[in-house]
Amino acid sequence: MTEQRPRDPGGLGGQSRRDFLRGSGVAAATAVLTGQATGVLDEAQAAEESAKVLSGTVEITLKVNGQERSCEVEPRSTLLDTLRNRLDVTGPKRVCDRGSCGACSTIVDGELVYSCTTLAVSCQGKTIETLESFETGEGSVPHAFHQNDGLMCGYCTPGFVTACKAYLDKHPNATEEEIRKGIDGNICRCGTYVGVLAAAKAAAQAKKGA
Amino acid sequence: MKAFEYAAPTTVDAALKLLGGPNAAALAGGTDLLGRAKDYVTSPDRMVYVKEIKELDGITGDAKSGMTLGAATSLSEIVHHAGIREAYPALWQATSEIGSIQIRNMSTVGGNLLQRPRCWYFRAGFGLLGMKDGESLVRAGDNRYHAIFHTDGNALFVSPSSLAVALIALDASAKVRGPKGERTVKVEELYRVPKHEGESELTVEPGELLTQVTIPAAGKNGAYEARQKQAQDWPLVMSAVNLTMEGETISKARVVIYGVAPIPWRSEAAERVLVGKKFSPEVAAEAGTAAVEAARPLSMNAYKVPMTRAVVKRALIRAVQGKGYWEEA
Repeated sequence: MTEQRPRDPGGLGGQSRRDFLRGSGVAAATAVLTGQATGVLDEAQAAEESAKVLSGTVEITLKVNGQERSCEVEPRSTLLDTLRNRLDVTGPKRVCDRGSCGACSTIVDGELVYSCTTLAVSCQGKTIETLESFETGEGSVPHAFHQNDGLMCGYCTPGFVTACKAYLDKHPNATEEEIRKGIDGNICRCGTYVGVLAAAKAAAQAKKGA
Repeated sequence: MKAFEYAAPTTVDAALKLLGGPNAAALAGGTDLLGRAKDYVTSPDRMVYVKEIKELDGITGDAKSGMTLGAATSLSEIVHHAGIREAYPALWQATSEIGSIQIRNMSTVGGNLLQRPRCWYFRAGFGLLGMKDGESLVRAGDNRYHAIFHTDGNALFVSPSSLAVALIALDASAKVRGPKGERTVKVEELYRVPKHEGESELTVEPGELLTQVTIPAAGKNGAYEARQKQAQDWPLVMSAVNLTMEGETISKARVVIYGVAPIPWRSEAAERVLVGKKFSPEVAAEAGTAAVEAARPLSMNAYKVPMTRAVVKRALIRAVQGKGYWEEA
């Protein structure tokens, strides 16, 4: 859909967190072991490294919409703020910032989550999907929202589209009742629920027909 | 929220070491803790992320011998577990109503049990008891969602976990590990009524980690909740019940109620009505009436008294009959 614009092209390059830790002073103690690493040592080392305490600013790599993206964040940075402010992935919206409204809905390792209430550091090594990566052609969820007037001001729409897609991917034969419950973690302050539900039903129908 | 250190250990031992530092908190789904941190209600210096610990994840066992839930098992895993739906409908019904899909995907068994109360005076920074100048803000202010039992003291918030209510009805135990080793407690023993400001309503000490919950084989069990709206919300009042039957007679009963007290409220009055009787909707109604006899509501929550009466009755009917008369066939 949209092309991603890396803010810091120099920072890209698929460097994993482990590589980063090895290369930094933080991991100096464990790095001594690398020369004589056996399988067991590797495992012990992995456990040791996982227990490293991160503070200040840390460099992380996130797999967002199929691309490895690196940036610097504080441990307290949420996935939402990291996506929007560091990686220019602005589909997920910041509204309540308390895990109540659903505008920030993002798919992490196949599960729908509130990215405003998820720490970015905890998402390393996981697959992150935002609606920028969704198909938009006929039969898709975004297309169904367009066709069924599933929005008014549009601010909740990315969250609803993401929630609908995540739900229908897992429950392709969902009934109207199930869809209602399946997307009840999202709120529309304009109240365009009728359109949203029509869009979700149309997308489900298209999925079945496909 | 305040800046903090972060670590993601992969073993319980490593987690306990990290939790041993001052002002450290265990972070699982974050649906409660991160909200509190953003509002500066809780400001840990270190967060120890426990969802990378494989030994804390998963559901084992069966209906006959009982089941064990790892503390980092997500609520979605419970909802999608056919064995739990079959053996522990009270747990399944309670869990499937918690939050939204997003919340259930993120949050965990341990995190739900150890979440902090939603009392708005607590969340606005007035402390767990909500006192100001020696006066209870709750008693004098807006207490529509507060307790109707135990209201002679100053702890007027309600315990926030509906999962706890179901697990207590099912007589579940929890394992807690800490620097001094491991202890096993009944799930109800995770909670207490704080006597003064600064005392926690939870008995899990700083530095300790809840690791698993074990549920024994259960009798006829079920849950019912009354809500303000069907979508993402906490129940107003909810009850989970578990009846051991000898033939048609109830030989043991556990009736636990959510939303009425600062702890998950076990109603021994309702249990006494049930034991030794044959089940009927009339007996269920009698138990509901007994459940609220000792209720002393605050200025704005008397509505919870008839609501609790009905919720207990309906939970009992659901437990024994599977579906209530108010539900579609």
